[in-house]
Amino acid sequence: MALVLRQAFLIASKDTRIFFKDRFAMAFAFLFPFIFIVGWSAALSGQGPRDEPLDITLVTQEEEGISLSVIEELSQSVYASVSTRPYDDALAALQDGEIDGFVVFPADFTQKIVSGASTSLGVVVNDDNPDAEAALSGFAQEVAGRFTEAQIAFRAAADLAAQPQGELQAEPPDRTSAEFDSDTAPTVGLVLERVGDVVPFRASNFTLPAYLTMFVFFSAALSAEAIARERQNQTLERLMSNGTRRESIVLGKFIGTAYRSAAQLVVMWLAGILLFDIYLGTAPVAVIAISVLMALASAAFGVLLASFVRSVQAAGSAGVLTSLVLAPIGGCWWPLFIAPQWMQSLAKLTPHGWANGGFNKLMLFGAEAGEVTQELGALVAFAAAFLAIALWRFRTAAQ
Amino acid sequence: MADTEFLVAHGLRKAFGPFQAVDSVSFTISQREIFGLLGPNGAGKTTVIRMMSTVLKPDDGHISIGGFSVTADSDSVRKLIGVCPQELALYPELSATDNLVFFGRMAGLNGRQARESARENLERVGLQDRARDRVEQFSGGMKRRVNIAIALMSRPQLLFLDEPTVGIDPQSRNHIFETVENLRDEGMTVLYTTHYMEEADRLCDRLAIMDHGSIIGLGTPRELKSEIGNPDRVTLEDVFLEYTGRRLRD
Repeated sequence: MALVLRQAFLIASKDTRIFFKDRFAMAFAFLFPFIFIVGWSAALSGQGPRDEPLDITLVTQEEEGISLSVIEELSQSVYASVSTRPYDDALAALQDGEIDGFVVFPADFTQKIVSGASTSLGVVVNDDNPDAEAALSGFAQEVAGRFTEAQIAFRAAADLAAQPQGELQAEPPDRTSAEFDSDTAPTVGLVLERVGDVVPFRASNFTLPAYLTMFVFFSAALSAEAIARERQNQTLERLMSNGTRRESIVLGKFIGTAYRSAAQLVVMWLAGILLFDIYLGTAPVAVIAISVLMALASAAFGVLLASFVRSVQAAGSAGVLTSLVLAPIGGCWWPLFIAPQWMQSLAKLTPHGWANGGFNKLMLFGAEAGEVTQELGALVAFAAAFLAIALWRFRTAAQ
Repeated sequence: MADTEFLVAHGLRKAFGPFQAVDSVSFTISQREIFGLLGPNGAGKTTVIRMMSTVLKPDDGHISIGGFSVTADSDSVRKLIGVCPQELALYPELSATDNLVFFGRMAGLNGRQARESARENLERVGLQDRARDRVEQFSGGMKRRVNIAIALMSRPQLLFLDEPTVGIDPQSRNHIFETVENLRDEGMTVLYTTHYMEEADRLCDRLAIMDHGSIIGLGTPRELKSEIGNPDRVTLEDVFLEYTGRRLRD
């Protein structure tokens, strides 16, 4: 085993030196993905949600009452910018395009609430602005929902209290719902829950890991060409007649390709952090873990490919073909979460899909490390399976 | 020439699918002998070398080198042999020294031993002044000499040279002849394959002529020449054509 490891590391070291002397290989490994990432990040910039506070204009037609309390409480929120205007001012601002819409508390709002009667909040928007309508309607429904819950609770309490003694062990009511006035009405607040860190959307948070995945696998697949060339010019045969084990060759090629993949990862992640200000999520260690396992899986994939091809030309074609097929299936060209379910299922057949799934979870959806254990396990399984098959192929094909 | 048999091949057979590449090949090579293996393309010479260098397993027959069985004790055999394949089995992107050091270390030398052996062998093939240059910048003849130097890195007792002078200039070819003769004088045994009859005539102590996977002639160059005429007037090329025919081959 010590001999196999020694020989494997010598082969890996030699391959790495050759790689750093090959300008085209260097350009392909580092420059091409960089160009793709810059291009697609620029093309996708301006897409997606912004991290901007919600502007809400509220109008109340009450002189005093619950609506004023609600408005005051909402004004304290850091997640929404709340302003109030008289109805006519708000309408004029809407028509001038100054605001997108507003929510109206009617003049009898408090009276209806305390008497348990139905009331409604108004939402005023332009017809051609469905986004504003959706946002303000959602807001109004949230507020209305809270009041409805409070009303139901009060009615239930009042009904229970009105029951004859002996039927229910309850104290007699001292007040009924009709007796509530604005001063004693329950405080109703709008709760905005914060889920994970609020992060501005950056296209590079998708494009960098996606194209990195694509090019790490692409470079590894093309390493099959180098292995086929060594087989053709008999350096592998010379090594074997020199006392080198087949296991050493497979392992050495695997380690050498993994070295190069790791170099790609380091350079591209550093570029991403320094130049694109990418966000690594709440668990950057998990991002690193997925990157490392992806490098190992890609290296094993390259060796596997080499074990199946017989010529340099076949290796080149197989490398390009498999990379260009697996990259889109695996979510390197577009995010998997916008793809149909059948495509998301298909992606799970590729290591690219698992790697991208993990990156997206961590970098776009704020997942914790524990939420990507499946992705980590899948990448380990792919690497082990690819390497085992490659080893078996090299052993059986040799004779 | 010593009489001790260093390599013994007996009844070797190897087939690739329906094609019988080697069929009942038997010969011996003595220590410090340069043994030539001649034959047209596809005669089976390279397959014989691949079996002897432990890369291919024979379907049948037995090979021993230095007393070790090639199939049963291949690790011991590998320590005794050096192989210079027909192809330029080296890394053009690396320097001559880096190539030699790499193969030396793969053969089990430590770093210091490998560097020392690389220096000696580059000097032997006349490339000490180009040691740090990338091999891709070398001429064909220089690459062939590096190819031989690599085979010498493990200080073998038996050297396989498979057509080492293909496509090179007369100066490089002559340098290779001198190198091989020096190696023999230092005690090395050499198995040499070639298409050039004058090379075989000059270098080889004994020859085997192969065709269609079998040995069809075996002896010293003079013995083989005597079989078809006056050995002082007949050339080895005449012998070769007499044995293998004048019909064009693929």
